[in-house]
Amino acid sequence: MTDGGVAKSIRPESERPAARAKLPPVAWVVLFMIAFFGVTAPGFFTVGNFLNIMLQGSVLLIMGVAATFVILTEGIDLSLGSVLTLAGVTAVLVLQGGQSVPVAVLVGILTGAACGAVTGGLITVGKLPPFIASLGMMGIAAGFALVLTRQGAIYSDVPAFIFLGEGSLGILPMPTVVAVLVFAVGWVGLYQTDFGRYIISIGGNEAGTRLSGVNTAWWKFLTYVAAGALAALGGVIMAARLGAADPIVGNGWEFDAIAATILGGTSFEKGNGTLGGTVLGVLLISILRNGLNVVGVGAMWQPALIGLVIIAAIVFDVLLKQRGVIQ
Amino acid sequence: MVDEPLLRARQITKTFPGVLALDGVDFDLCPGEVHVLLGENGAGKSTLMKILAGAYQPDAGTITLNGHPVQMATPRQAQRLGVGIIYQEFNLVPYMNVAQNIFQGRFPHRWGLLDHATMHTESRKLLDGLNMDIDTRAKVVSLGVAQQQMVEVAKALSVHSKILIMDEPTAALTDREIEQLFATIHRLKQQGIGIIYISHRLQEVHQIGDRVTVLRDGKFIGTRQVSQVTVDELIAMMVGRTITHMFPRDYQPQGREAVRVEGLSSGTRLRGASLRVHSGEIVGLAGLVGAGRTELARAIFGADPYQQGQVWVFGQPVKAASPDKMVKLGMGLLPEDRKTQGLAMILSLSENVVLASLKRLFPRRFVDAGMEQEVVAQYIRDLRIATPSPKRLVQFLSGGTQQKVVLAKWLCTHSKIFIFDEPTRGIDVGAKAEIHGFMNELVKQGAAVLMISSDLPEILGMSDRIYVMRQGRVVAEVPREQATQERIVAYAMGHEVEP
Repeated sequence: MTDGGVAKSIRPESERPAARAKLPPVAWVVLFMIAFFGVTAPGFFTVGNFLNIMLQGSVLLIMGVAATFVILTEGIDLSLGSVLTLAGVTAVLVLQGGQSVPVAVLVGILTGAACGAVTGGLITVGKLPPFIASLGMMGIAAGFALVLTRQGAIYSDVPAFIFLGEGSLGILPMPTVVAVLVFAVGWVGLYQTDFGRYIISIGGNEAGTRLSGVNTAWWKFLTYVAAGALAALGGVIMAARLGAADPIVGNGWEFDAIAATILGGTSFEKGNGTLGGTVLGVLLISILRNGLNVVGVGAMWQPALIGLVIIAAIVFDVLLKQRGVIQ
Repeated sequence: MVDEPLLRARQITKTFPGVLALDGVDFDLCPGEVHVLLGENGAGKSTLMKILAGAYQPDAGTITLNGHPVQMATPRQAQRLGVGIIYQEFNLVPYMNVAQNIFQGRFPHRWGLLDHATMHTESRKLLDGLNMDIDTRAKVVSLGVAQQQMVEVAKALSVHSKILIMDEPTAALTDREIEQLFATIHRLKQQGIGIIYISHRLQEVHQIGDRVTVLRDGKFIGTRQVSQVTVDELIAMMVGRTITHMFPRDYQPQGREAVRVEGLSSGTRLRGASLRVHSGEIVGLAGLVGAGRTELARAIFGADPYQQGQVWVFGQPVKAASPDKMVKLGMGLLPEDRKTQGLAMILSLSENVVLASLKRLFPRRFVDAGMEQEVVAQYIRDLRIATPSPKRLVQFLSGGTQQKVVLAKWLCTHSKIFIFDEPTRGIDVGAKAEIHGFMNELVKQGAAVLMISSDLPEILGMSDRIYVMRQGRVVAEVPREQATQERIVAYAMGHEVEP
């Protein structure tokens, strides 16, 4: 039936309601938190602290970009945290083997890309649901990390490697520089290339996209490879910051990455969402962590409080949508 | 029939938004009678059936059961009044056993627990009454289609139905199973049960029916005693839809062979279908719903795999077909369901138009927004696409406009072969004529068009040649000059026609 089509088509909606929205609710939450911590925590409004937030949020932003790409295809990758761990381990092992830093970084990233290729292959060729395939990879990558490190942290103090984590370019910490580059490349990839079009289109209607002659399996596979490589880059940076690869360092990171994506307004359905929103989601989580530290809430209580805020932010978002306040 | 009718429906009218599905239809059913309901796709059979089963409410008209006027607000209420229905898609729970399925929703209890013993004895009695040797403890999933159907019949009888509605009960059965079903129907008749029998197989009218009612476009055409009507008369009643507008066609000589399909088989839906389409012609593909037309189109396009058969495109055999390969070979599919198959609803008009051509337009992978706009603006002009902006999300466009967007997508890939699946379904008259005009334009410029349609005037008006499909096969090829509605329907329903 075509009824309603005309009525709908004259409704003065923005051209892309959810994806190119004005200021998403999560932005308000971020602003509110900045104000809250600014008032309650004296040390919060300092340049040093903001650089701190950026540093702490850098790896999460890289992970968030990875998670956003996958979730935009209506997929999920639970292995991102374990891949982060494993990539840090392989990078440090290569350094310990006497190889140069670029080689170590490359091996780390390739480790993640390989994990992503296996996950993506299981999903596209093996036809496994993304949840199952990535759950399996989550265990496998975590297991390899334990085996390779013999269950203990392994160390490297190669200066060039440590620079990646501790150094800075001007005022900006290196991890932040990398994260901003990742975001920029991710943004161009998503909005300015055919790859990005296919990702969004697959999330919007996979069957229809395939019937348009798009090799959907290939592009989905590539999405998981890219996500794995990005998670690995996050792992390498993490190892560089710590000067060590810890076999459980990435535990739970997949959830933070997914949470940042969802907080940023990306939906699990229909590939609806934006990369910019994910930045806000990352900011929200990072500011909350930082603020709680500055206020003096102990590490013990932080996960519970962060969980609470995530739920509250999403309930807020859902309520606004139900009331029709936002699209 | 001298008996007081079990059921008497008078002047049943039902409208759906934009469609008059039933227009003052009368229908009677006597005890012990099989009353066949006949009509083309979209004639209103299903709507009438659902009204009699309480699934839809009529806008006007009366229904009386045993002389008492009734309101059947829900299927459950209809069930309580003695109307049972067996849909083509069974409503059985696969991993529950036969007895539990028969008593679904009305489980007998004893001391607050399920009374399995009673359930099984009662089910046994019902199945014995149907002369069916089915284990009541067997899981439904382990049964064949015919046996599942009998479980459905037993389920209907378990609530003491006096009226049984069967929707194409033989569609999925083998010849032997059909014989068994007919034997069961005879047994039910002897018990005084009235049966409304919907079928697409014309020969069954005489095999099993006592009376037959024909619907066409929601209108009551007539009720006849089966013994006093011939198949040809029935066909004449079913067709005769008036051709409401002129179809824009310029015919021209057949070009080179664009698509050749030989013996395509896939499961039970395609059983060795063959056809050819040439450049410069529109080939109509007629048949009833479920005949395998959409399945054939999807198989040709590589959307679904096939076990046997071969497709050639411009003389080249296609190996390992997939949509992306077929698109590269110059084929485009405009699916029946635009919303789920043709368009990404959350993307803009512009993004949808170029989706299939990104590689051609932007070989260096970077999407040039300016060039995209130019390309899309061209199609918006050429196809007269009504949109306030190329950035408008397609979900906010009307059906006809959406179809134009799908067409633009395939024009943008420079397709040479177009498969239209129900190109004008759900599209208003004006846009319909425009789409027909574009199809004519396409073949004038040398494209090959395969058009699936359930709209007989459209098939007759637009096609150079017509293929008719039935039960997964292409059973007839009719040139334009010899095509009549009667002929096509006769082939589609498996009635022999003298050439």
